Amino acid sequence: MSVAETRPGPAPHLAAAGLVKRFGSFTALDRVELSAQRGELLTLLGPSGCGKTTLLRVIAGFLQHDEGTLRLAGRSLDGTPPEARNFGMVFQSYAIFPHLSVAENVAYGLRARRVPREAAERKVAAALERVRLGNLGARYPDALSGGQKQRVGLARAMVIEPDLLLMDEPLSNLDAKLRIEMRDEIRRMQRELGITTIYVTHDQEEALAISDRIAVMERGHIRQFATPREVFESPAHAFVAEFVGGCNWLDATLLQDGAGAAARIGAGAAFALPAATRGAEGPARAALRTEDLRLATPEDPPGCCLEGRVGSLAYLGPRTRMRVIIGPGDAAVEADLPSALPLPNEGEPVRLSFEPHRLRVFAPESGVRIA
Amino acid sequence: MSATGIAAPEAPSWPARLLRGIRHDPWSAIAWATVAFMLVFVAWPLAELARQSFIGQESGRFGLENYQTFFGSSYFRRALFNSLTVGVLGTVIALAIGLPLALAFARYDFAGKPWIEVAILLSMLSPPFVGAYAWIMLFGRSGLVTEAARGIGIELPPIYGAFGIALASAFALYPVVFLVVRGGLARVNRTLEDAAASLGRGRIGVVRTVTLPLILPSVLTAALLVFLGIISDFGTPSILGEGERFPVLATLAFSLYLSEIGAEPGMAATTCAVLVVIAMALVVAVRIFSTRRSVADDTGGGAPPIRLQGRAGALLGFGTAVLVAIASTPQIVVTVCSFLEVRGVVFQPVFTLDNFARAIDALGDALWNSLVFAGLALALIILVGSAIGYVIARRTGPLTRTLDLLIMVPYVVPGTVLGIGYATVFNEPPLLLTGTATIIVTVYFVRRLPYMTRASAGIVYQIDRGLEDAARSLGDPPLTGFRRVMAPLMRPGILAGAAIAWVEVFSELSASIVLYTGGTRTLPIAAYQQALSGDVGMAAAYATMLVGVAAAGLVLFVIARGSERERSLGWL
Ligand SMILES: Nc1ncnc2c1ncn2[C@@H]1O[C@H](COP(=O)(O)OP(=O)(O)O)[C@@H](O)[C@H]1O
Ligand SMILES: [Mg+2]
Repeated sequence: MSVAETRPGPAPHLAAAGLVKRFGSFTALDRVELSAQRGELLTLLGPSGCGKTTLLRVIAGFLQHDEGTLRLAGRSLDGTPPEARNFGMVFQSYAIFPHLSVAENVAYGLRARRVPREAAERKVAAALERVRLGNLGARYPDALSGGQKQRVGLARAMVIEPDLLLMDEPLSNLDAKLRIEMRDEIRRMQRELGITTIYVTHDQEEALAISDRIAVMERGHIRQFATPREVFESPAHAFVAEFVGGCNWLDATLLQDGAGAAARIGAGAAFALPAATRGAEGPARAALRTEDLRLATPEDPPGCCLEGRVGSLAYLGPRTRMRVIIGPGDAAVEADLPSALPLPNEGEPVRLSFEPHRLRVFAPESGVRIA
Repeated sequence: MSATGIAAPEAPSWPARLLRGIRHDPWSAIAWATVAFMLVFVAWPLAELARQSFIGQESGRFGLENYQTFFGSSYFRRALFNSLTVGVLGTVIALAIGLPLALAFARYDFAGKPWIEVAILLSMLSPPFVGAYAWIMLFGRSGLVTEAARGIGIELPPIYGAFGIALASAFALYPVVFLVVRGGLARVNRTLEDAAASLGRGRIGVVRTVTLPLILPSVLTAALLVFLGIISDFGTPSILGEGERFPVLATLAFSLYLSEIGAEPGMAATTCAVLVVIAMALVVAVRIFSTRRSVADDTGGGAPPIRLQGRAGALLGFGTAVLVAIASTPQIVVTVCSFLEVRGVVFQPVFTLDNFARAIDALGDALWNSLVFAGLALALIILVGSAIGYVIARRTGPLTRTLDLLIMVPYVVPGTVLGIGYATVFNEPPLLLTGTATIIVTVYFVRRLPYMTRASAGIVYQIDRGLEDAARSLGDPPLTGFRRVMAPLMRPGILAGAAIAWVEVFSELSASIVLYTGGTRTLPIAAYQQALSGDVGMAAAYATMLVGVAAAGLVLFVIARGSERERSLGWL
């Protein structure tokens, strides 16, 4: 905690550049770039198997990367074993030592650091107080609930005043309600203590709620590294658009006409793209979020909209999800519409419109954002 | 996993680098050291025996001459046939006793169950040859039962030979069937049986169509262990086969080796090779079969046993008790007889400590040697075995696989073979070990190490890897973390493994009988020699001492385990 204040500076606290990690011929991490400012909470978000744990374990020192550099406060971490890095870790499985009491668990790292007994006891008490387990120090882990165990894990990792706190899906084994409660608590403590934190999750909502910045990972690559708002509102990669929030995907063709760039959806209407889009032509993939679509009104001119037939309707409470077949074939989009509106019936023709800037266009192969 | 072994970029010299590497990744260093040890003390002796089996006894030329002699001679063929006969027969009997017991114990609770279980486990305490000797005391030429039957005019068939050896071996080894199959049954998903029953199968039908196929791998494993145990055993066939009269491969190898001392051990080596090839072939066959029909199903097998009340429960309790009582009779007879007065070769119904007095007089260093050798070997087994078990469970890769394989070899290779191998290669500098205590301790260690590595790997598999990572991230170097976290968690399982290893090491006979000299005679050797051709009272006394000391050690382990703070470790 004091560390954060005594070493000011513009340089990132943790900096990973060009990290590559291979298991045999399989590349688990591919040229990963990541940096965390002091006191920042940074999330690695991605589906199972994308390399989040691998990256975390490389940072922790349990795995040695094959290429690239990893620096903490400007110093290379190469050759520093995990036990000498002073990083706290919190585990999905809790990894609470079952043969030690709660207090002994929390004191574990202090003993390894030969902190004098009295000071250690004081720190342990304070740490347990902070995670609201002040009265459970003498308990053994088998008498704790999952949430309590993870609090012990947090206290144990924080009490050593780590230079970096690493958490690997710490809430995945908890039930939904407790998950939300705990994530808010983690965020509060992390802010209070100013501990630079790397948090791994596959839950996009958790990532959006808790992070200063999110690194969205896919197959060993970081597809986007930005604030939660940027990740959600302007995904830099098709994978990010799909993974964070979900999308309707449409085949599109990019055109350059007199007015600038435009995207033709399927065989239908062409939609103007922002002026910044230059030079791109040919096939592309267009994405529209379900909440960006609305029913077109008679004022909307022809050619502005997606036209089709209502395939199905699913009532979801305040919203109704409408599936619209727009052809060719069974190409379809889904739109979330306010349930209060009068909606057409299944089989009836329907027109959907959207704000042009909500249309996001990605390169078909690389998935990179074009517009 | 290439987890560690982070090279220091500026490391100056190779010793410094090596030290640094060991500090960062001590487990690889331990694994390498153990591989080196095993190459010298397992691979080398066996390879040398294999080589000598190809050097013609007569011609001295490299080739198949010895094997031609072996398979061309009716004498050698008979030993091979005897080994196989005794092995098959004994395995069938052991299965016939062990399987019903395992089924009853896994599925039902009944009167007296815990006591019967203790009796079964206790019968594992005595080495098979003690049981063999007890059978002679009962059914031998002047055995108690034989004499009694003769008194009322019935001449019982002789206990010597194939049937006696098979029976004695089966009674000594059926607990293996019981333990392995009960473990297998515990893993069978009970809902499968319920499903079969709901589909209209009767109780027997369910057992036949669902339960048996599912536990077939564990039955096979058990059968394999029993068969290997029988064909590797030296003491039982030696005592009940009256030496040359009923030769089996293990006893044949031993006598060939003795008669060839000084000469090239060509035929002894060939006999050893045949024995090892049979054992290995069976292991591989069972392995292949079991993996092909793996029925691993971890979706909760453990439904609690059904409580049998009233008549059914009493009947089952009685039946199993009778079975176990019959199997334990020899041990009980030996123990009781050791306290009886002997006149000539006949026990009198008069209690006395005379046998023990004479036995202790003639004991010399045997008991002390046994305690020291077995104690040292056990300490090594616990230390190395738990560390290597950990490495095997936590690391994958060629090094670990080699290590696992090398350690498991002595599990399959008969003790007599290993003993002959040791005597063959360690009889000249730089490793002149024959006649030393070191060679006995080493062979004890190597033979029983697999028990401990298996036991400890089994525990480590069940311990969350995260605990070690947590310990390291909190500032403990690998070995410190191992000591503070893994060791306490592994301790109960290690103690259990150590208890078994202790009994096995303390009563080891088949390798040490080859390697002992006057100064390194042990208690099992003394007991064996008296049983073979000595004073019946002293033989009984030695056998009782052997079992008694083994049991005393076991009790110590049980106490040590009990004094651990009993805490339910959810995943242990
Ligand atoms: N020790 C290893 N050896 C081989 N492959 C591994 C190893 N550890 C992880 N992998 C592979 O690397 C990929 C990423 O794994 P991981 O980092 O655990 O993913 P995540 O945590 O995002 O679910 C997976 O495909 C996994 O199979
Ligand atoms: Mg993971």
